Formats: sequence, C-alpha cells, structure tokens
Amino acid sequence: MKWNVGTKIGVGFGIVLTIFVIVGAVSYRSVVRQTETAGAVTHSYAVENALTELLAALQDAETGQRGYLITGADSYLEPYTNALPEIEQHRRELSSLLADNPEQLAHLDALGPLITQKLTELQQTIDIRRSKDFASAQAVVLTGAGKNTMDSIRGVLQEMRAAQERTLRVRTAARELDARDTTSAILLGTLLAVIIAAIAGVIITRDIAVPLRSLTGVAERITVGDLTVGTKVKPRGDEIGLLALAFERMGHSLRTLADGAERIAAGDLRVTVQPQSPNDQLGNSFARMTDNLRRQIGGMVEAAAVLGSASSQIVASSTQLASGASESAAAVTETTATVEEVRQTAHLASQKARVVADTAQKSAQIAQSGRKSAADVVSGMERIRTQMEAIAESMVRLSEQGQTIGQIIATVEDLASQSTLLAVNAAIEAAKAGEQGKGFGVVAQEVKSLAEQSRQATDRVRTILGDIQKATTAAAMATEQGGKAVEAGARHTETAGESIGTLAASVNEAAQAATQIAASSQQQLVGMDQVAVAMENIKVTGAQNMASARQLENAARNINELGQRLKQLADAYRI
Amino acid sequence: MTDGSRARQILRDRAQALARVPPPPAADTILEVLEFGLASERYAIEQRYVQEVQPLRELTPLPGTPAFILGIVNVRGRIVPVLDLKKFFELPERGLTDLHRTIIVRGHDLEIGLLADVIIGISGVAVESLQPSLPTLTGIRADYLRGVTGRRLVVLAVERILSDPKIIVHEEVEG
Repeated sequence: MKWNVGTKIGVGFGIVLTIFVIVGAVSYRSVVRQTETAGAVTHSYAVENALTELLAALQDAETGQRGYLITGADSYLEPYTNALPEIEQHRRELSSLLADNPEQLAHLDALGPLITQKLTELQQTIDIRRSKDFASAQAVVLTGAGKNTMDSIRGVLQEMRAAQERTLRVRTAARELDARDTTSAILLGTLLAVIIAAIAGVIITRDIAVPLRSLTGVAERITVGDLTVGTKVKPRGDEIGLLALAFERMGHSLRTLADGAERIAAGDLRVTVQPQSPNDQLGNSFARMTDNLRRQIGGMVEAAAVLGSASSQIVASSTQLASGASESAAAVTETTATVEEVRQTAHLASQKARVVADTAQKSAQIAQSGRKSAADVVSGMERIRTQMEAIAESMVRLSEQGQTIGQIIATVEDLASQSTLLAVNAAIEAAKAGEQGKGFGVVAQEVKSLAEQSRQATDRVRTILGDIQKATTAAAMATEQGGKAVEAGARHTETAGESIGTLAASVNEAAQAATQIAASSQQQLVGMDQVAVAMENIKVTGAQNMASARQLENAARNINELGQRLKQLADAYRI
Repeated sequence: MTDGSRARQILRDRAQALARVPPPPAADTILEVLEFGLASERYAIEQRYVQEVQPLRELTPLPGTPAFILGIVNVRGRIVPVLDLKKFFELPERGLTDLHRTIIVRGHDLEIGLLADVIIGISGVAVESLQPSLPTLTGIRADYLRGVTGRRLVVLAVERILSDPKIIVHEEVEG
C-alpha cells in the first residue's frame, strides 16, 4: 500500500467518525421517540384531568341546586351558576383533546345528552322551588331521575378514564423497549469505535512514530554535534522517506562544513565552501566566516609582525625609560641638594634683605642731605659764571693789545729791512770808492749786522707775539667754552638737584621696597622649606618610578616574548 | 796695534786737521759778489756791475714784451726794465710783494734791474773755489753761469746776460 501518512490518518479517523455518526443517528431517533411517548403520556393525563374536572363541575352544579332547594336562598345558587360555563368549557376541551381517538369520541357523544338531561332536570327543580315550594321540588327530586342520570354520567366517565389508561400503558411499554435498543446501539457503537481507533493508532504509531523517533534521535545526535550517523530508514515514498532523505542531505552538508571547519581548525584557511542555495545561511555564513577568517588571520599575521616589532621597540623604550628614571632619580637627588643650597641661600638673602632695608633707610637720609648740597652747588655755579664773564672781557682786551704790538713790530721790521738795504747800498758805494771807501764799507757792514740783529729780534718778538695771540685766542675760546660749560653746569646742576630729589624719592620707595623684600624673602624662606619637603617627596616618588620602570621593562620583555609566540602561531596559518 | 789706540789715532788726526787755521787767500783771487736768493736757492753776481739795490716799487708791466720782462720801474728819473731770472732758471713763481728787491746792474751801456726774492749781502768768493757748471745744466742756464762754489752758491756771469742779444727787445706792433 503506497499510502502517505495523511491518507492513513484520514482513513483511521474516517472509520471512527462514521461509527460515531451512526450512533448519533440512532440516539437521535430514540430521543425523538421518547419525546413523542412523553407527549402522549401528557395528553392522557390532560384527558383524565379534564374528565375529573367535568365531573367536579357537574357535582358543583348539583350541590348548588340542592342548597337552593333546601334553603330557597339565591346565595346557595351561586355554585350552580358558576358551574354551567365550566361544564361547557370542559366539554369543548375534551372534544378537542380526543379528536384523534374515535373510541373516546364515541364515549363523548354518548356523554353529551346525559349532561343536557341532567342540567335540564336541575333547571326544572330550581324553577319549581322558585315558583312553588320546597315540597314540590322535593317530590321531583324524589323521583330519582336526577340520580340515575348522574350515575350514568359517572359510568361513562369511568369508561373513558379506563380507555385512556390502556392507551397510556401501551405507549409506555413501547418507549421502554425503544430505550433499551438505543442503549445497546450506543454501547456497541462506542466500543467498536474505540477498538477501531486503537487499531488505527497502533498502525499509525508503528508506521510514523518509530521512524520519526529514529530521525529524532538522529537530530538529537546532530544537535549534540555527532555527524557520523545515518538515518537507517528504509527507502519509502512518503513524507517520512522524504524527511529521511532530507536528513541524509543535511548530514552530508553538515559533514562537508565540518570537514571544512576541521581543515580551518588545522590552520588551512584555503577552504572554499559553496553555499547550497542563496538562502543557505550556514553555508553563506561559513563562506563569509572563512573569508573573514582569512582576512582576520591575515590581519592578525600582520598585526603579530607589527606587534613583534612594536614590542621590541617597547622593550627598547622601556629600557631607555628605566635608565631615564634612574637618571631622573639621580637628577632629583642633585636637585634636592640644590634646593637645600637654595634654601640656605634664601636664608642668607633674607638676612641680607633686612640689612639692605636698614641701609636703604640710611640712604634716604643721605639723599635728603644730597638735595641740600645740590642747591648749594647751583649758587656756587652762578658765582663761577660771573667770574668767567670777567675773565672773558680781560681776554678780549689782551687780544686787542696784542694786535697793536703786532703793528709796532711790523713797523720795526720794515725799518730793519730798509736799514739792511741801506747797508748793502752803502757797501756797494764803498766798493765803488775803492781804497778810500774801505772804512765806510766796514761801517756799512756794521749797520747791516745791526739791521740783521734788529730783524732777528723782531722775528723773535713776532714769534712770541704770535704765541701770545694764539694763547690769547685759545684762552678766549676756552673762556667762552668755560662760560658755556658753566651755564651747562648750572643747568646740569639744577637737573642734578631735581635728579637728586627724584633719587631721594626713589630711595624712599627703595627703602619701602627693601622692607617688603625682607618680608617677601622671609615668606620665600618658608616656601623654600616647603619646596625642600616636596623635593624629598619627589625623590621618593622618583625611586618608586624607577622601580615601576624596571617592572615595566620586565613586562615589555614578556610582551615581546608573547609577540614572538603570537608571530609563530600566526605563521602556522596557511592562507 | 790695538783697535782702541788706532781709533784714538784717527780721532787725534781729525782734531788736528780741524784746528789748523787756513791760509788767508790772496787779494787778487778774491771775487767781491752780491748774494741774493731766488726761490730757495742762493745766487750771486759780481759787485762791480751792481749800481744799487732798490725795493720793488711802482712796477709798470709792459705789454708785448717776452715773459722774462716783468715790466719797467722808475729809478731816480731813469727808466729801467726789470728781468725775472726765475724764468731763465725755471724756478717756481711766488707772486710779487713789497719784500721783493731790484738789483740795478750796469754794463755795456745797458742798465737793467734783476728781480731778487731776498738780498743776503756782500761777500767774498775765492776764484779757485769756483767749480764749472754742472753737466745737467744746458742751454741758456749754462751760458749765464760763471761757477758754483762749495757752499752751493751759484755765481752768475752778468756780462753775458747783458751782452745777450735775446734780451734786447725790438718788436713793432703792426697796425
């Protein structure tokens, strides 16, 4: 049978469903019959009830007639008047209830004249009592006609009730039989359905659940990562077979991926995985993963190389850092010593500043006296200027007299020259005179030598006069310059006086500043103490830094070894 | 003989040579000359040609005369031309002042004035001490020169200057 699983399940459930439909139909028919029987029973009870009430109404009418007959009061006639419409109503009710029963209709037809007769008898007696007296009425009653009629009515009613009870009994028996049949049908049908459902369940379970469980086991093992198993399901054409084939393909695909993963795990990144379909998430992810791994491992290889070189540099740097920290520590030690010296220097500076402040106070007093001296100098310069002017006038007069002397000298020189010439001419004349003129020639020679001597004298006088004139001119210029110098000196002296005044103010300020400097240097001394303490702390910190640098150096060496190992690991990958 | 005694001998000889009085020159060998200065050099002429010495006054320049004729002066009514010897001896000019002198000389019926910067005076020169002219002096300077003494006194031959036809100016201005 090449049924698929859906057909099998459909057939099983269809059989069970058919059985339940049959059982339901039987039950429905039985219920309908029960309902019909219950309606017949109710009908029978209604008929009996109507019969009883009809009899009761007749008895009420008779009771009212008798009360009136006895008392003659109209108040006792009320049950009679009330009973008349009721009797008519019950007769119509019975005729409608018994329309489908010919036997009972015959009884009802027989009952009608009897009731009319009875009611007529009652009306006659009442009319007699009203028109005549009690005795007349009593006589009518004593005839017994009314009583006979009443007994007939009772007999008919009794027969009708009996007939109705028979009909009820027949119907009740049929209902009970029918209920029994229905119960049997339900029990049998349900039992059959259960059996068939059990059989179908067993068959379907064996045919579907066992292979499914096997496949579930395979899936469980795949879930825990065991890809070596097969499905062990016989080739089938149904969904189970297809599922098994799909499991086989899935396992194959997963094994392919696992092989690839194994090669990747072994470090061979040259694996290429072709995705089974565009929607192959795992395949695509695997392909991307291998791509990413290739890139990342490539990057990691480069990074490892970079890390190796960088860690080497870090080692070198940290070594330098360590040596630098040692040098820094040494430098800090020197600095500490220097700070100590500076502190002592600051101490000295503080003392000196105090001395300077005192000195500045004295300087301020000296500057005050200097201002007075400057004023004296100004007046002295004024006196010098007056005397310089007098000297200048004297020099001018001296120069004029020198020029007069020069004119006199020129005159003397001219005389000497003419005397020389005269002497020469005299000598010539003497030579012309011959022997007689020889004595005259000697005189001429003497005159000439005199003229020569006077000329030499005037030369010397002129030389001396020239020197005197030069000296006079120089003295005049010197005097003029002296006057100017004195004026300039006076101005400078005034300026100097002002400067000394300014200087006195400055010295005052300097004195105040020196006082402030003394205070400041005291604070500086305190600050230098703090600096010395801080330098001590820095020294301790420097020692710690040095130890840290050593540790850092060791750490960098470890990092370097790590980088080398990482590089070896990265080299193990084949990209 | 040691060096010291030899040096003393030399010094003694020199002292004796200097202490010796030179013999007085003979009267006919003494040449009376008038010394004068031209520029920075000293010149002299024989006294017998000299008439007198005058200060240079009222010099009147003459147009149309050679360059060595400075002009003419009035000497006691006589018109005397003045020669500038510096032109002959190519000495630097200094311009004329009142201090220049004119030496009036006469010879061969010719009276001229020689310009002198300064007059030094009359002195005697030994004839044998006169040395001939320097070979570098040529032309007119060699002609006018009589000799040079040991004291670098240049003695001029006045008679040659006066007899030189070149100094006779004879020039007519045409027109």
